[in-house]
Amino acid sequence: MSIFQRKLSDRKSATCLSVMLAMMPLALSAQDSGAIQIRTTAEIEVVETDANGEIVTRLEQASKVIPGDIVIYTVTFSNTGSEPAENVVITNPVPRHMEYVEGTAFGPGADISFSIDGGQSWGTPDELMVTAADGSQRPAMATEYTDIRWILRNTLQPGAQGFARFRTRLQ
Amino acid sequence: MKRISLIILVLSVLTGSPAVFALGTTAGTDIANSAQVSYVVAGTPVSQSSNVLVVTVAEILDVNVLLQSPTVPVTPGDVNRSLLFTVTNTGNGNEDFSLAIDSALAGDDFDPTPSPTSIYFDTDGSGDLSAGDTPYSFGVNDPQLAPDASVNVLLVNDIPAGLLDGNQGFSELTATSLTGTGNPGDVFGGQGDLGTDAVVGANGGDDADIGIYIVSNVTLSIVKSATVVDPFGGTEPVPGALITYQIVVTASGSGTAINASFTDLIPPFTTYQTGSLSLNGGGLTDAPDADAGEFSGGAVVVALGDLTQAAGPQTIAFTVVID
Repeated sequence: MSIFQRKLSDRKSATCLSVMLAMMPLALSAQDSGAIQIRTTAEIEVVETDANGEIVTRLEQASKVIPGDIVIYTVTFSNTGSEPAENVVITNPVPRHMEYVEGTAFGPGADISFSIDGGQSWGTPDELMVTAADGSQRPAMATEYTDIRWILRNTLQPGAQGFARFRTRLQ
Repeated sequence: MKRISLIILVLSVLTGSPAVFALGTTAGTDIANSAQVSYVVAGTPVSQSSNVLVVTVAEILDVNVLLQSPTVPVTPGDVNRSLLFTVTNTGNGNEDFSLAIDSALAGDDFDPTPSPTSIYFDTDGSGDLSAGDTPYSFGVNDPQLAPDASVNVLLVNDIPAGLLDGNQGFSELTATSLTGTGNPGDVFGGQGDLGTDAVVGANGGDDADIGIYIVSNVTLSIVKSATVVDPFGGTEPVPGALITYQIVVTASGSGTAINASFTDLIPPFTTYQTGSLSLNGGGLTDAPDADAGEFSGGAVVVALGDLTQAAGPQTIAFTVVID
């Protein structure tokens, strides 16, 4: 993206912000009609040895977590309205005190991208670069991701549902 | 699509950036998560948030005990010989720990005798037992440590009589989480900081380390002689005559004299002859520098290091002029 294009898009965005704020009441009324229900859950992996000596892994609701634990966040969504939902985008900030675990974002039928600046810009892992004080650049580490975004490729039809999932490690 | 990125921008300001903790997120911290969805339905853009899911960080119970002293050379019959340890809270909550000494361990040659008060905090930071140190008393001043905080602890033992050179005696410090101990992963429901669960960490909630005393019988003998050369070719101690002192230091016994140092004040009515100091025939500079010798404060000082009988006699020489 050239500098000119970037500036242009920023200006567009600024315009859109005011538009979006003006639409807030509309958004709330749409939520009331229940077009998309969205819910998030958190689980931890529990590794156990069963009666046969086999190592089994099961998911358990994350009630108590300790530093180093991997927490699996799952976002489920379903279109409970009567109209198709288009341009569906799910976003989830990486929670405070958590680090995103590389390669764990998953979502059927979605293009996944990440942000390292709190959602101001987005990219795939090979596109995200961190600029050092001296101007040099290096690829961003997964632990530096601040936000995750799933863009659904297809319209979410009434009655359809889907999920998005990612794993984090408690610092 | 641009409007979506702006929604996230606003949210990120609210959530802030992740904080980093040296030893993991502090017990009792609530971690909230909420997903957002935006879409267009019937031509109208909509954005919604999911439920806010809160996960609370539980307390890890763990501690590390680490011996700081090198092996301590002792003489049979010594009293109040100390070993220095560091006790560190490697959990993520504020935790009280009890301390215990065990000097009756297997695998050594003798059992040190714990002194009447055998556990001290090294309050003055000197690394050994001194007047400013605070005695430890179980249940009275159990150390409370914040996550990652540590305290220096001294174990104090007496050394029995009648031991042989090279005999070793072990003494162990154990620190135990007062919330509880167990197998890693064991849970004490609701007993962690802020009412969270407490979970036993990798070390089991307690830890120990062992210090070693070694009997080291060594004596140093010092023999000093002087040679006078007068300005007239004779050996009369007249003004202007040079006196060359030779000192032979010899270690005997099977032990090691740790950090042996030789100091000799220049006699009255004489002046040290610059650059005359030597050790085993090798010249030493007068400055306090990398070599073993220096002349300062009217005295010659030679650091002999750890001396053993095997090292043989150490010969120091220096010259003064009679005023």
